[in-house]
Amino acid sequence: MITLTINEKEITLDKPVTVLEAARRAGIKVPTLCHHEALKPYGGCRLCVVEVEKMPRLQTACTLTVADGMVVTTESEAISKVRRGILEFLLINHPLDCPYCDKAGECELQDMVDKYGPTVGRFGEEKRKVPESHKDHILARNMERCIVCTRCVRMCGEVQGASAISIIGRGNRSRMEPFSSAAFDCEYCGNCLTVCPVGAILSRLYIHSFRPWQLDKEVETVCPYCGVGCSLVVQVRDDSIKRVVPRFDLGLNRGLLCSRGRFGYEYISSPERLKTPLVRKNGRLEESTWSEALSLVAEKLGQIKSRDGGTAIAGISSPRCCNEDNYVFQKFMRMTCGTNNIDTVSRTGFASAQKYFEDLLGQGITANMIDGLKNSDVILVLGGDPAAINPVLGLSIREAFRRGAKVLVVGNAKGLERYKTLQVMPEVFREADVLESLLIEIYGARGIRGEKPALDSGIRELSERGCERTGERDFDELRMTLLESVSISIVFGPDLVQRADGHRSLFAVSGLTYLLEARLYLLSEKPNEQGVIDAGCAPDMLPGGRPLSVQEFRRKFEQSWNGAIPSDDGMTLFEMIEGAANGKIKGMYIMGENPVFNLPNGSYIKEALKALDFLAVQDIFLTDTAEIADVVLPAKGWTEKTGTVTNLERRVQLQKKAVETMFGMEDWRIISEVSGRMGYEMNYKEAADVMEEMAKVSPLYRDLTYHEIGKGDCLWPYHGEPLRGEMKTVPEGAAMERDYTEDFYLSVERPLFHSGTLSGKSPALMKIYPEPALRIGTGTAEKGGLKDGDKVQFSTRTGSREAFVSIDDAIRDNRVYFSNNFRGRGALDLMTYNIDKVTKAAGIEGCEVKIKKL
Amino acid sequence: MFNDTVLKEIDDIRARYPERRSALLPSLYIAQKEFGHLSSEALLCVAKTLNLPEADVRGAASFYSMYRHKPLGRHLIQLCTNVSCMLLGSEKLADFISEKFRVEPGGTSADGRFSFVIMECIGACGTAPAMLVDTDFYDNLSEEGIVEILEKYK
Amino acid sequence: MEKILLKNTDTGNSADINEYVKAGGYRGLSKALGLQPGDIVDEVKKSGLRGRGGAGFPTGMKWSFAIADPKSPKYLVCNADEGEPGTFKDRPILEKNPHLLIEGMVISAYALGSERGYIYLRGEYPRAKEILDRAIDEAREKNFLGDNITGKGIKFDLTVYQGAGAYICGEETTLLESLEGKRGLPRNRPPFPVNTGAWGKPTIVNNVETLSNVPSIIERGGEAYSKIGSKFCPGPKLFSVSGRVEKPGVYELPMGTSLRDIIYAHAGGIKGGKKLKAVFPGGVSTPLLTADSIDCAMDFVSMPKAGSMLGSGAVIVMDESVCMVRVAYRTLKFFEHESCGKCVPCREGTEWLRKILERVEGGRGRNGDIELLSDVAENISGKTFCPLGDAAAGVVAGMLKNFRNEFEEHIKNA
Ligand SMILES: Cc1cc2nc3c(=O)[nH]c(=O)nc-3n(C[C@H](O)[C@H](O)[C@H](O)COP(=O)(O)O)c2cc1C
Ligand code: SF4
Ligand code: SF4
Ligand code: SF4
Ligand code: FES
Ligand code: FES
Repeated sequence: MITLTINEKEITLDKPVTVLEAARRAGIKVPTLCHHEALKPYGGCRLCVVEVEKMPRLQTACTLTVADGMVVTTESEAISKVRRGILEFLLINHPLDCPYCDKAGECELQDMVDKYGPTVGRFGEEKRKVPESHKDHILARNMERCIVCTRCVRMCGEVQGASAISIIGRGNRSRMEPFSSAAFDCEYCGNCLTVCPVGAILSRLYIHSFRPWQLDKEVETVCPYCGVGCSLVVQVRDDSIKRVVPRFDLGLNRGLLCSRGRFGYEYISSPERLKTPLVRKNGRLEESTWSEALSLVAEKLGQIKSRDGGTAIAGISSPRCCNEDNYVFQKFMRMTCGTNNIDTVSRTGFASAQKYFEDLLGQGITANMIDGLKNSDVILVLGGDPAAINPVLGLSIREAFRRGAKVLVVGNAKGLERYKTLQVMPEVFREADVLESLLIEIYGARGIRGEKPALDSGIRELSERGCERTGERDFDELRMTLLESVSISIVFGPDLVQRADGHRSLFAVSGLTYLLEARLYLLSEKPNEQGVIDAGCAPDMLPGGRPLSVQEFRRKFEQSWNGAIPSDDGMTLFEMIEGAANGKIKGMYIMGENPVFNLPNGSYIKEALKALDFLAVQDIFLTDTAEIADVVLPAKGWTEKTGTVTNLERRVQLQKKAVETMFGMEDWRIISEVSGRMGYEMNYKEAADVMEEMAKVSPLYRDLTYHEIGKGDCLWPYHGEPLRGEMKTVPEGAAMERDYTEDFYLSVERPLFHSGTLSGKSPALMKIYPEPALRIGTGTAEKGGLKDGDKVQFSTRTGSREAFVSIDDAIRDNRVYFSNNFRGRGALDLMTYNIDKVTKAAGIEGCEVKIKKL
Repeated sequence: MFNDTVLKEIDDIRARYPERRSALLPSLYIAQKEFGHLSSEALLCVAKTLNLPEADVRGAASFYSMYRHKPLGRHLIQLCTNVSCMLLGSEKLADFISEKFRVEPGGTSADGRFSFVIMECIGACGTAPAMLVDTDFYDNLSEEGIVEILEKYK
Repeated sequence: MEKILLKNTDTGNSADINEYVKAGGYRGLSKALGLQPGDIVDEVKKSGLRGRGGAGFPTGMKWSFAIADPKSPKYLVCNADEGEPGTFKDRPILEKNPHLLIEGMVISAYALGSERGYIYLRGEYPRAKEILDRAIDEAREKNFLGDNITGKGIKFDLTVYQGAGAYICGEETTLLESLEGKRGLPRNRPPFPVNTGAWGKPTIVNNVETLSNVPSIIERGGEAYSKIGSKFCPGPKLFSVSGRVEKPGVYELPMGTSLRDIIYAHAGGIKGGKKLKAVFPGGVSTPLLTADSIDCAMDFVSMPKAGSMLGSGAVIVMDESVCMVRVAYRTLKFFEHESCGKCVPCREGTEWLRKILERVEGGRGRNGDIELLSDVAENISGKTFCPLGDAAAGVVAGMLKNFRNEFEEHIKNA
């Protein structure tokens, strides 16, 4: 116990903290400029000086650790004089351009000057001049305003880990610059911007457009981009979003954001948004009215249902939509249309992996707190770059590394280049071999665990069968490190699911998780991939992960929903596509998804969907899929409606409405309108009504209310125990017998700056990453005689594209990466697929590609 | 990129410290020698070789006054004008050098022969005024002495 | 006094290991390796040795802090940054007696239980770099460094790390940042380097001259050593004398020699028989003394009583012909140039002071400048992160206190 006195107030602490922190806890505010709660103490500005009895000089509260019996005074005439002096120093070279500066009104320096009012006008010399830099598209840099607190640099280096900016020069020549001294060319998280106390770094998205006091309101909500689910604050004026800012006391991201979350918000106010329903007339989509469009959907689906039965209808729902939307969607498919043919595009990644892991390891196995990553001894990273797929989760890995954790990477992961202890590069597409070998060896060392019979026997069989591996460098060290550690986290990305034998990796990772008692994190590219499953948008699962095949569960839902649920499992995503192609599926309802672009072999998908008798698409943009629909229904999007989403930790969070729009309807409302017209009434007035029902019928959501969720810590298992048992046997699969001996293979890039095609509607993200490049490793460059910036044509068996080459040292195999974020220029359309018999995901590995220099 | 000899040299330096970042200052000296000055390319090479963030490399390089960020003349005159040297007239010598060899402090002569910088104390105050030409020390300087010394540097 | 630090350095070949050994070098090391590390620390404590880098911290005590820290490895770092203007006392050791330093470091390392040492050498000493590198190679060849020192199974190796032109890197925490390859900004203390120094490990930073005293302490015993020079602050001391004296240079004299003697008895008095005006007794970072206050004993204990500090023992002498405004301006220009930029008062304050001084010196002084100078200096003093800013303010305060009239003259004649 430490007892000290600050301003005559006695304070008792159980652990030593800084005087600044002790004062804060006692409700005493000490002025600061260089200090920031997210950063380590610095001690540069000297504004936080305090008097401490028995200490000769004034002390800086932000750096001084409390000691028992310390007597501190934070305000006195002498202290004020010092602070005035400091502020005067800061102002001598500061352009007094507050009336013009965008920071005015939220500038820490301005506030401080207001409070301590330094003597002005004593500086009769010439000020330092540094021209403002507008050479970056996103961040404006005004180094005359910079007070060299280094908060930005420390944020970028110590927290974000990008280390893209530095203080250049020394003494009074110090200024913050990115390496190029012009464009930042960085991760564009903008976290430097958040911590800059003055107007030295500003976002060009809002510069000169408003002043903080002109905002109408601020709404706390959750990012629409990925499965991390960062909290952020949307600042609104005249029903339009002016700015997105994080808050350090808010959400799991604690003040950090990535480029998408911070700068990607403009898509929602894109002029390309769908405004009215469209109906296909004489082969063309024409503007229509809600009543015509809704009736038409109801009529067409009703016809198919009565003619061919519910099983001729299929629905694809969306991990971009809320839980409420998805819940209503599956209820509509099951109750109104009479089918279990419900799936999502997440089948190609998250959903397959999630189901596989839960089947073997038990429900909730992936429900781990992102924050917990920091406390791991070892983090094993598989199947993609977490720092790009789920950037803010990636920061926790970097943080863990800084704290001494060993980060073991299998495969390429650019964002961890400076944050890895070792990297094992499997031969191309041979990750499963490496993981199986690893499992066999760990099993050899640890033996059977004996808690999960299916896994135990699966592992035993695997080890009897054996696995060939081709002597990857550092494999032994990888194994040793895992065996020597206690607290292991495994971070699993979508890449390894997208294999025709993806289940092999899934099994191996299940086994590793089990034997090593690891925490498993499943990366998630979309904001609500987990929620979609929990809401029941799966062909074999009811809400709450209840297996459809169990009659007792079905009965319960039938009672609540007042009708019969078809008893057979429905079709998975690609079965539906096949069904559409071969005529088994006649009608399809797609909510918030764009399979034509987001699935491999898009041309084939498109033909299949075109073969449908009827296709309804509900979206916020006229996507490639919407373009071939018979009816297009405009939905409301993020910040235009309220609803919940569930992140990859299984934390349920609220996306709140922040702006009013005249166009579109909430997804759940559109569906209930259609449903009513088809004779099954859904009487929800508000999203909250849907949540109320979910809380009643789904054991997963029991007792959840928006109020409860709003507190931010509704993590699985909210109340209950597991809802679904584990599998008794491991599903049978088969290894692919294939050699990968071609020169180059095409893979899908998952860029940090884009997410689906949504980000393409955000001008800021388009400025950061304006066009797709063909990303190749140095080995590929050498082999192909290619240089950075070369224009090439690359072709696969199904098509070709032109692009510029970008060489990236972090790509260590002969895969070449191309993004699937630019309409008309996607990578997936160039790839064909083979379905994994176990997961029903599409394997897109081994897509050979020829590269020709133009 | 650096050639193999240089890479080897840097590797050897790295081995002497528990962390690779410590090899930064020595590597910057090497890069300066290889490239003449610390151009962006030079800094990138160092960053790559040591796997350090580029901005950190530039930030560190820019802190120290003995790294050169612009191309230099063939020879570098570094004259001290700190107090002890100043007390013995080094400021006048600075003017003399500027005039005689047509090179401003901080600049390079038009013929590219000399670059000239004013230094802080170089630890030769007992034999002030003093200067370094490239890595050679000269002290007890006078105008005639300087002319004679600089004659040797073509 | 018999020379200890600069013994034999006028032979022309004194840097050579054979010369050094011939003159009795590395005997201290042999003796030391026969002792327990703790005994060595005790001898150093008994010797009363205080750090020669400027602060005068008792060396033995500093060592025992690092020894008490359970973390390992431990590092020994020699501060050879010698950047304080007017200071050039480490240079003769580095260039002419490098083995004395190496011997001192090996003994110290053995006492500390350190197997790795670094010499942080200022970039401005390229010759010393060559000499030290060679000396280290020689010592390694002769088994005074390496994995099995003098066959006793003791390990210690040394590397010279070249600074690159930054005065602030002489400050020990900054030096460590620089050694780690970073920008030279001082670190927060605590934790102190003895606990969390280089790469987070317990680290001793000692000045060249400090470490060079160690062999003779061991050789003759702490007790005997403590009889040299001042009672509270014993040992030989190197004084760098520069400026307007007849015989500037480095003088090895007993600690506590009077400033007057240094100037008049050893350095030959004022150049051309002129009158003494002022002295920086320990580099420009120590308070200025006027002609009438030089009867003080130059040691760490007596100098504060005389209103100044021993600092690095760099005596810069100014005679009646010297313009103090000019000296003030040049000194502030130095501090402005060398301010690392971390803290506001130093970064902005030194610039402001220099700008005013530049005007005043250039005949563009204004009424009120003197009060402003004094107020700005006051706003810096005691508020900076490290002593550099204090020193800058101290120069202005000292000048105004003692030579206000010269400033007034300048402004009046503007
Ligand atoms: C601004 C500043 C510059 C310094 N420069 C030097 C220097 O050049 N050489 C040195 O030995 N100590 C210098 N010091 C003192 C060191 O911080 C430290 O006290 C010294 O290296 C400790 O060694 P010692 O105990 O042997 O004296 C400087 C201190 C400050 C505040
Ligand atoms: S935006 Fe992020 S990555 Fe870019 S400089 Fe700022 S903190 Fe660093
Ligand atoms: S740009 Fe802003 S945050 Fe960065 S050092 Fe300058 S004032 Fe501080
Ligand atoms: S990490 Fe994901 S949730 Fe967080 S800001 Fe980025 S895209 Fe949004
Ligand atoms: S807030 Fe403490 S020194 Fe800046
Ligand atoms: S002042 Fe010029 S060398 Fe020291």
